[in-house]
Amino acid sequence: MVQAVLQQAVAGFYTDLVTRPTGRAVRENIERDLLPGTIAVMDFTGVGCLDYSCADEIVAKLVRDKVKVLLLRGLTEAHREAIEPVLAGAGLAVLCERADGALEGLGASEPAPALLDELVERRLAARIPGGSIRLTAA
Amino acid sequence: MTRLVEVPTQFDDRSFDQFAAAYAQAMDGERLLFDAHAAEWASPYGLVGLLAAGEAAARKGERPLLTAPANPDVVSYWARAGFFREAADLFEVHGKVPKVKVAVESEVLLPVTPVRAAEDVHAVVSTIQQRASAILNSELGLDPKATMGFAMALSESCQNIVEHAGTGGWVAVQAYNWRRKLARRVVVIAVADAGVGFRHSLEPTQGRRFGERWGDAAALEAALIQGTSRFRDPGRGQGLAGIRRYLARWEGKVAIRSGTARIAIVPRWDDDVPLKEGLPAFPGSQVLLIIPEQVTEKGPGGPSKQ
Repeated sequence: MVQAVLQQAVAGFYTDLVTRPTGRAVRENIERDLLPGTIAVMDFTGVGCLDYSCADEIVAKLVRDKVKVLLLRGLTEAHREAIEPVLAGAGLAVLCERADGALEGLGASEPAPALLDELVERRLAARIPGGSIRLTAA
Repeated sequence: MTRLVEVPTQFDDRSFDQFAAAYAQAMDGERLLFDAHAAEWASPYGLVGLLAAGEAAARKGERPLLTAPANPDVVSYWARAGFFREAADLFEVHGKVPKVKVAVESEVLLPVTPVRAAEDVHAVVSTIQQRASAILNSELGLDPKATMGFAMALSESCQNIVEHAGTGGWVAVQAYNWRRKLARRVVVIAVADAGVGFRHSLEPTQGRRFGERWGDAAALEAALIQGTSRFRDPGRGQGLAGIRRYLARWEGKVAIRSGTARIAIVPRWDDDVPLKEGLPAFPGSQVLLIIPEQVTEKGPGGPSKQ
């Protein structure tokens, strides 16, 4: 359902996402508006430092316990470096939108194709000539 | 009765065991006098370790005494590094301590800073990002990408105080010339507390698994090498693993001392040993992270060869 896609701006809470208590507070704030099985979008634009503890508390726990597909936007290389090993270590994956608009998996390699398929099936994303997958206008 | 604990003239991670041995001889009821009058130099590790000793001593009985370094350059540096600002709450300080501003200078990236709660970690990370980025790039030739990872490593090492120590601690970050085998500029993060230590923290969940092998060394191994946490939450144990990843990428070093053991992940430029046991007992945990200047084949100071 398109209505199930939520976009949360993480940068509005804190600039640096560090420490587990901060991660927990941010996640609980986000979770309040999420129904289980949601497809969610999180925008990290404007977030400074993201440490491993926050990556686990915010991203991994949402994926593990709440959302069906999590799409991340606005990631810097440093954000990816925090998020990827946390997810990979837990066998989890999210999707992230590259600068060119293409979607790719981040984290464990095994779950990622199914996540992309989920978006395509719901017409939230589409395969374009060249093979990449991008979000649709919906 | 007063017992003298001598602060080594060159006070760093190498001489820390000598300091710990003197500290370990103290008996309950004795008032400790930490004598730093002959100190010529202290690394960030030495400074935060001395504060941890002061806190532990104060908990046991009377407020300990501290004789400040007699050398005016040395005592001035300790003051600019923020040491005496923290020491005033723990020690009865004797000697001439100059009233100087805590440093805003290039070598002291972060003066000695207390860490008691998550908010303190936020403040530390914010300060480092403001000050360290240009310095890490110009002094160490670190790729700007490394600066965020540096803040991350700093955050995770400070968080371990908040999450596990059961008391507050201190952190300090400084750049200097590493004169041992490496002979390069380094940035050092030192974090110390006089809390419960790794062994006590992990014992309820890990002690049985190790059986008779359980002790300080096993606890450090479980935490740093195996990524074990005292929390059963599946996502725990990320901090030290993340620090290891960051340091491996930039050929850095991590060493953690707790109780009677010390574990280290030793890069090729250092001659330390991976594990030491049977050390003089010292309360809490003391962490040392070192990031070296990146060099090209031509020598230090050039662009990174990473």
